[in-house]
Amino acid sequence: MKPKTRRRVGFAAGASAAAAALLVLTSAAGAHLHAAGPMNTGHGALACASCHVAAPGTVRQQVQAAVGRWLGTRASDVDVGFRDVDNHACTSCHERVDDRHPVARFLEPRFAAQRATLAPHQCVSCHAEHRDARVTVADTGYCRNCHQDLALAHDPLDVSHASLVAGEQWETCLRCHDFHGNHEYNVPTRLADAPSAERVRAYFRGGESPYPGPVRVKARVPGSSLKDR
Amino acid sequence: MAQGSTAPPVAGRPPPRRPLAPLVAIAALCTMAVYLFATAPAPLPAQAQRAPAGATISVEQLFDILNNENRVARASWTADIVGAGKPVGLRFAEDWRESAVEAGPLPALFLRETAGYLEKHADGLSLFLGSAYPINAANRFAGSQVAHADALKATGQPQYFYEPSVGRQTAMFADVAVADACVTCHNEHPQSPKRDWQRGDMMGATTWMYPDKQVSVETALRLVGVLRAGFRATYQRYLDKTATFAEPPVIGTQWPKDGRFLPTVDVFMAEHARRAAPTLEALIHAAPPAEAP
Repeated sequence: MKPKTRRRVGFAAGASAAAAALLVLTSAAGAHLHAAGPMNTGHGALACASCHVAAPGTVRQQVQAAVGRWLGTRASDVDVGFRDVDNHACTSCHERVDDRHPVARFLEPRFAAQRATLAPHQCVSCHAEHRDARVTVADTGYCRNCHQDLALAHDPLDVSHASLVAGEQWETCLRCHDFHGNHEYNVPTRLADAPSAERVRAYFRGGESPYPGPVRVKARVPGSSLKDR
Repeated sequence: MAQGSTAPPVAGRPPPRRPLAPLVAIAALCTMAVYLFATAPAPLPAQAQRAPAGATISVEQLFDILNNENRVARASWTADIVGAGKPVGLRFAEDWRESAVEAGPLPALFLRETAGYLEKHADGLSLFLGSAYPINAANRFAGSQVAHADALKATGQPQYFYEPSVGRQTAMFADVAVADACVTCHNEHPQSPKRDWQRGDMMGATTWMYPDKQVSVETALRLVGVLRAGFRATYQRYLDKTATFAEPPVIGTQWPKDGRFLPTVDVFMAEHARRAAPTLEALIHAAPPAEAP
């Protein structure tokens, strides 16, 4: 084959491969190929568009606004391409009126220190997506950030809460208390009867619930009505 | 251009080409500037989204109006439902949502339920309740709220400030023991850190937050509507719970002061509207009159 012909064949092959790759990657079936990682527990059936919504405006408007923001002529941030996946994306399926620790509560000024360290006002601080897990915060003793002063006048537990706090046994909290309170659970009065910390960690990684009761409110499936929950 | 630094052409060779890269970069920048600014499209709506149109009120006025609404609803719930309901056998408890518990929300939880509704529907308006002596230690004021709560107690005046850690306009209002039920419950609760409360004491404070410094009257009216819808939804949840009681109270036009009765949600909200009439008055006075043609 002549060098010129060989070069043409090479260009054609390369262009065909690039077009095929583009076709696969932009198709719905190929979306998982360019995801940031495997979906978290329970999210396997979600489409990308369930959370990743196009940002408002044309690309030109978005670029213009981003440059303006960079130059200091625009006060507010701007999303380019897709909107930031914020709390609303999560609560549209997981919102519950009886959440024991709703993220919005941590916007109160008194939680400034916790916002700086743990950022509990954002769902993704503990539930970062594309990690193939349920809870991604590494420290299962995070209750220490707010409950250092815990003391009960009539403690129902055989090992007092005050002694657990004094001993910094923060991993014991989640053995009895489901953070969001979404499991029916008669909290044990003997610490030895509570599930182990390892079972809690396994649950965080996506394993079975250590809490014996059923889930109180199931997450909404995208596309279904809130009444279906 | 620094021609002197360029090497002279050598005989027999073509003169060296001028580097194109700087010219291309300059052309690209010019094109980008024209693309972005000279022929700029309309700015993204978000840029103007929060700029209020028409008559506006300050966020402090908005907080005053909302606080009046909340003060009225909180007093109704505490005195007329909880306070009057307990003697006729109605219970109110922290674990009222548990299916096996025949109870309604305590006043603090009535507020928290309403606050949850606001978070979902009120576009950045937040409401919190805290205290220097909370029954749950996790609800104790900390950080900037400590000094503002102290000033509130010392002066009796609402505290308005900007909270930089969340970028929100903020106000704190005294939460006063308006009914005997407030005093007796907090003095008798086994976890209470203070047991000498008296009626009229400032037991804590409500904290309101909103993103903007100025608010259109239209938005203020909408936020009052959302807050009232929050009261309605919370009260309706309580009525729904009472339907599961072994002996449900009679729901109609009568109130617990008359016996084991509860007002319907419409009766409850109509009474609220009557008592909170100054809210609408405040909005009417806040809107400047239209100029005569």
